[in-house]
Amino acid sequence: MHLPPWFWFSVTVLFAWGVVGLLQKLSTNRLSGESATIWLIVGFLLFLPIVFPGRAALHLSLTATMLGVLSGLLNALGAWALLEAMRSGGKASVVAPFTAMYPMVVVVVAPFILHETITALQGLGVICALTAVALLST
Amino acid sequence: MAILTKLQVKWFWCSLLTVLAWAAWAICAKIGSNELSASAMQFFFGIGAAPLALLLLIKQGFKFERDSLGIFYGVANGLLSSVGNLALLAAFRSGGNTAVITTATSLYPMITVGLAIVVLRERLTRRQILGVGFAAAAMMIFSL
Repeated sequence: MHLPPWFWFSVTVLFAWGVVGLLQKLSTNRLSGESATIWLIVGFLLFLPIVFPGRAALHLSLTATMLGVLSGLLNALGAWALLEAMRSGGKASVVAPFTAMYPMVVVVVAPFILHETITALQGLGVICALTAVALLST
Repeated sequence: MAILTKLQVKWFWCSLLTVLAWAAWAICAKIGSNELSASAMQFFFGIGAAPLALLLLIKQGFKFERDSLGIFYGVANGLLSSVGNLALLAAFRSGGNTAVITTATSLYPMITVGLAIVVLRERLTRRQILGVGFAAAAMMIFSL
């Protein structure tokens, strides 16, 4: 059976972020959420030399570069807001599944912004996945 | 009335902000990766996250907690998150459907739950067992 490259990249994401989920718990057992976020970003910064584009960075599209910067800022903002939700009295059993529903927004807006459509079978997969995420996060 | 009460609490709006920020992050990552390589996008991603660390440091008055194991877990968290994000950008760049990739990769709690059983000796709840079943079904469907 031939599986497309995106599938294997996605499996890599699953395993990497699966371990991240455990590390998040281990780090916040010992540090405040804010400190854990700071050290998380330090980890992001330590990874930069590995992906440094070199002189090619000078010739990259400004729009795409800004999108890259914005994606990092939005990701960090989302993580911080999640932390604040937990700190301000939100139960983990409610906040975690709620915030795990972000792919639903992507599913809804992708056809309009990215002009992508999904097949009925992929739609079924998305429903199964979203159900799984909600159940696993409780 | 219950809905109105929920709308007045901070955690609800913070959670909603997380949902919207992460959805926007996925869309920006997809559009950006149409033009830049996964590694270049990851580089600028790291740059983009840095101001938040600075903001939090200012908020904390530049005081550091000194639990070395906690710091180790935190930094390892960032490094491994970067590896995952790099793979996500590569998946976007390889032409897969954004909605499918975003949903498939959001199944990572399946791995966390498995690790929590082995490493932290936690037990799986019935809901989580059902969740693993749905996750396995989703991955099988995505592989078709």
